[in-house]
Amino acid sequence: MLLASMKNVVYGYGDTPCLEDVDIEIHSGEFVAVTGPNGASKTTLLKLSLGLLQPWSGTVARARRREDGKKLVVGYVPQQISAFNSGFPSKVLEFVRSGTYTRGSWFRRIDRNDHALAEQALKQVGMWEQRNRKIGELSGGQKQRICIARALAQQPDLLVLDEPSNGMDTDSRSRLYAQLGGLVKERDITVVMVTHSLSEASPYLDRIIQLERKEAGGWKCCTTTSCKGHFSPVG
Amino acid sequence: MEMLHYDFMQRAFFAGGVIAMIASVLGVYLMLRRQALMADMLSHVSLAGVAAGALLQFNPALTGFAIAVLGAIVVEFVRRSYKSYSEVSIAIIMIGGLSTAVVLMSMNPGINRGFSSYLFGSVVAVQKTEIILVVAVAFIGSLFFYFLRKPLYLITFDEETATANGVPVKFISLLFSIVTGMIVAAAMPIVGVLLVSSLIVLPAALAIRLAPSFTAALWLAMMIGVAGVFSGLTASYEMSTPPGGTIALTLLLFLIMGIGIKKVVVRWSKLRNKKSEEESGGELKELRDTVRLQQDSTVIH
Repeated sequence: MLLASMKNVVYGYGDTPCLEDVDIEIHSGEFVAVTGPNGASKTTLLKLSLGLLQPWSGTVARARRREDGKKLVVGYVPQQISAFNSGFPSKVLEFVRSGTYTRGSWFRRIDRNDHALAEQALKQVGMWEQRNRKIGELSGGQKQRICIARALAQQPDLLVLDEPSNGMDTDSRSRLYAQLGGLVKERDITVVMVTHSLSEASPYLDRIIQLERKEAGGWKCCTTTSCKGHFSPVG
Repeated sequence: MEMLHYDFMQRAFFAGGVIAMIASVLGVYLMLRRQALMADMLSHVSLAGVAAGALLQFNPALTGFAIAVLGAIVVEFVRRSYKSYSEVSIAIIMIGGLSTAVVLMSMNPGINRGFSSYLFGSVVAVQKTEIILVVAVAFIGSLFFYFLRKPLYLITFDEETATANGVPVKFISLLFSIVTGMIVAAAMPIVGVLLVSSLIVLPAALAIRLAPSFTAALWLAMMIGVAGVFSGLTASYEMSTPPGGTIALTLLLFLIMGIGIKKVVVRWSKLRNKKSEEESGGELKELRDTVRLQQDSTVIH
């Protein structure tokens, strides 16, 4: 199933476009990495695909519902979330549980299922022991991990991560990639991730979207299919 | 408790307590959204409404209320177009409000006496309209903060992730601004234009420092706000000082004491941790010594 697609998208921040000729499709069950040098508009690409930015021209389409008709849940972990509001007075557990807030009605009371999801997510990122600490006290890498846990607690169908391994040590990094790979395989989640550490992530990846500099100066999009691709290349 | 025999003090305690509860909750959200100065700005803008109302022979409390809500909506749209919401735009709108108020006020010399009660508050002279306004605003505000607590938490933490998660951020932000305008306008008669933000920002500032979790911060802010207003009112009655200023000073005192006490507690627990570490370290050393002794003795035999 096609989750998100961009056709002929152009976008820029000033008066010159920084992204041009973007044609990508994200299908369900894929593990896609977005890569490119600094300033290659990787984050912009993610934000466009999430609808946080409106393109100058071209079309961006996103699926609103899953194949079974239920609402498509999108989890988003932005870049440098570790710089967040360090004074935010919240416990780790409370913060991760807020991932479940988007499920069902807002007026719904927090139930046992929500607690279980939060616990499971925290254990997945190895932060369960820290659940009663304030989020402002955590280190950058730990903040990154609880943000990923919050996105996992949402039980997303599409998980969008912007440099999720920033500030993480090598062990946590490779464990994260393995976990994400597992989610894609076992739970049929789609993962789109901006990353610089392709070599560590590549065993799990299905596809790599590479942003390359055009001759004129903007950035264009190239899609490569890694050896594990189980679908036809796009774009 | 003799002061509670007076009607005006009963009204003051009632209105002050009710507005303190809702204003402190609002303060927690405003602070975390980095809009702490918004309350100050809206109160200045709302003063222009009060002056205009007095000039045009409407009820000033109601025109002030309307202008505060309108101002809040305008601010929300300004905030959207200037993503990095700067203090400059706050200053500009604030100057606009206050200068309009002063000019309008000078056109109507009869109002001057009542005007200082708007600037510094006159909680002991709270009128029936104002009481009704306070109760209605507190009711609407508590419904808003209770039923939308989940999306508000998500938006307060980060608007972008909330948008990506499908929360209608723009709509809820707009509602939040309107509620802010309403609460500011209702709080104005109690502590006055110049001190409105004391009621909103000070309890929240202390609660955020002390509370272990978000929910705890909200409840703690409410308790600090009510305690501050009640003790401020009592002090102002006993010492015959202006109530608005006394309440603000009391809250400021709470904040300073609270932060001071927290520092002492943190230092004390650090010391205790260090001590217990040293003690356990000492035990370890003894243990090591005995082990070495035993080894030594085996060597001798």
